[in-house]
Amino acid sequence: MSRNGPLALLFHALVMLFMLAPIVIVCVVAFTPEGFLSLPTNGLSLRWFKAIAGYPEFVSAFRDSLWLAALSSVIAVGVSVPAALAVARHRFPGREAVSAFILSPLMIPHVVLGVAFLRFFTQIGVGGSMVSLVLAHVVIVLPFAFRLTLSTATGLDRSLEQAAVSLGASGATLFRRVTLPLILPGVVSGLVLAFINSFDEVTMTVFIAAPGATTLPVRMFLYIQDNIDPLVTSVSAVVIALTVVVMALIEKLFGLERLLAGEGGGRS
Amino acid sequence: MLARSSTSGIAPMTDPAPAFLALDGLSKRYADHVAVDALTLGVAQGEFISLLGPSGCGKTTTLQMIAGFTEPSGGAIRLEGRDLVAVKPARRGLGIVFQSYALFPHMTAAENVAFGLEMQRVPKAERARRVTDALALVGLSALAERYPRRMSGGQQQRVALARALVIQPRILLLDEPLSNLDAKLREEMQIELRQIQRRIGTTTILVTHDQHEAMALSDRIVVMNAGKVEQIGRPQDVYERPATPFVASFLGKTNVFEALVERGADGAAAVLGTVRCPCPPHLAGAGHVLLTVRPEKIAFADEGLACRIVSRVFQGTYWLFIGETPAGVATIVCQNDGAAQPGEGESVHLTWRADDAALRPLSGAGA
Repeated sequence: MSRNGPLALLFHALVMLFMLAPIVIVCVVAFTPEGFLSLPTNGLSLRWFKAIAGYPEFVSAFRDSLWLAALSSVIAVGVSVPAALAVARHRFPGREAVSAFILSPLMIPHVVLGVAFLRFFTQIGVGGSMVSLVLAHVVIVLPFAFRLTLSTATGLDRSLEQAAVSLGASGATLFRRVTLPLILPGVVSGLVLAFINSFDEVTMTVFIAAPGATTLPVRMFLYIQDNIDPLVTSVSAVVIALTVVVMALIEKLFGLERLLAGEGGGRS
Repeated sequence: MLARSSTSGIAPMTDPAPAFLALDGLSKRYADHVAVDALTLGVAQGEFISLLGPSGCGKTTTLQMIAGFTEPSGGAIRLEGRDLVAVKPARRGLGIVFQSYALFPHMTAAENVAFGLEMQRVPKAERARRVTDALALVGLSALAERYPRRMSGGQQQRVALARALVIQPRILLLDEPLSNLDAKLREEMQIELRQIQRRIGTTTILVTHDQHEAMALSDRIVVMNAGKVEQIGRPQDVYERPATPFVASFLGKTNVFEALVERGADGAAAVLGTVRCPCPPHLAGAGHVLLTVRPEKIAFADEGLACRIVSRVFQGTYWLFIGETPAGVATIVCQNDGAAQPGEGESVHLTWRADDAALRPLSGAGA
């Protein structure tokens, strides 16, 4: 590995600082005893964390967001795996079109999608429901699941599957024992990215979520339109803390690198 | 096609009837070219056959059709008299070793070997025993729990072989299995592969572009070029009596001299210097013929074909000479038996036994 010069190191340090600073600031501000966003703060307090308990709509929005992200990312992966395998392996008419179609939500502004979905769901009579949220989120996270699955499916050595076939495997057994484990890194990273993108989505969701049942980011967005108190910072700090815990658990149990980079990565 | 190889003057291989594996007019045509053109071949049970040829000659396509990964455009494949094309690839019961080894990276050596037995629903205890035996057969008992990425190329190769053999395949298909190994390891694996195949007696088809590998391992070699069979025969027959110019040039080095045909008291003969090779009747009328002779069949003598040594290369077990003769450039190989050898620039004479030379017409192919 080549060593970086002092200028490069300084540059890297600044980039890291720029990436981490907002997160650190949010977490610090969350502990303020004041009734407004302030930095530096006078002393530390759990006041705004306790305040979350007084807003059950934040807790339920968080739960809804998790469900929405989980459902939409799993459905997106379920659609992506067969699609990616078909596109990676076969030359069929319309192959490019299928690929471009699945990736197209990336190109369309979410505001446009939001307006379009709002009108469409109202038209077919599912407006404001969890079903409509899941459907819309599947569409916007599909490109992430598809693209990452496709990248591992394209690199798949056909002779591995041929070897399995020659040994008597076929159909579901072939998929479960050989194909899926081989493309798993792409599938898992696609799932993770899809989950994060769904959890994170505001622009489109604002249009289609019902006022009663909405996602956490939308709930926070609506809250800071009317309030200037630091409640949203404490909610953010909780989400950040949970993310860190989940990542640490995954690392401990499976190894992040193994899941994301693949078992054939050569490290052990 | 086949008629040519069987009329090439070789003692014909007694074709065991009925063949264990029969390829009958097997063809694979693509839109723009013919990959395999009416290949007919009978393989006896327990036989080790090589499909030998340059890349693009159709040998791998043939293997893929036997394995079931490529659909034939025409012809039939029969195993023990039964149509194999109608059988799904997963039900053909063939063991395959791929050029890339194709070991499952997420399984240990033992799990790789056990995979085929699991698919056959072999009970666990018997499975464990057979996996142990298979790994012992290839000398890898100590590495059973190791993942492929932690193994050398040679070790992965052995696991792939054990995995293919453990299911007791009806035919073992080897697709350039040794081409990713370095020269020394390749030689060791050739010997080992031969011994294992002899011991187990599995009918084996090897696809290779390496003539040495084909000659070292096979009972018979099928030399292919541009989708067609050039010659089928035992390694020594194919080497000593190439049926076509392609076979002669593909298997080992050969010298090609233009020789004058003279009629004498003993009949027509191709003459080079004082070396006379009797001409078969159909060439007797020609003014000139092409005479081919292998480099190692040429000896230095007091008289024969005049030659001036241009370069002399020491190769350890043998000497390699390049010489100029009136009939063309000559390559000569001499065993390093300790005797004095001619030096560069020296004038010598070359000779060979008439039996070691092959004659063919000046223009056109064919034997």
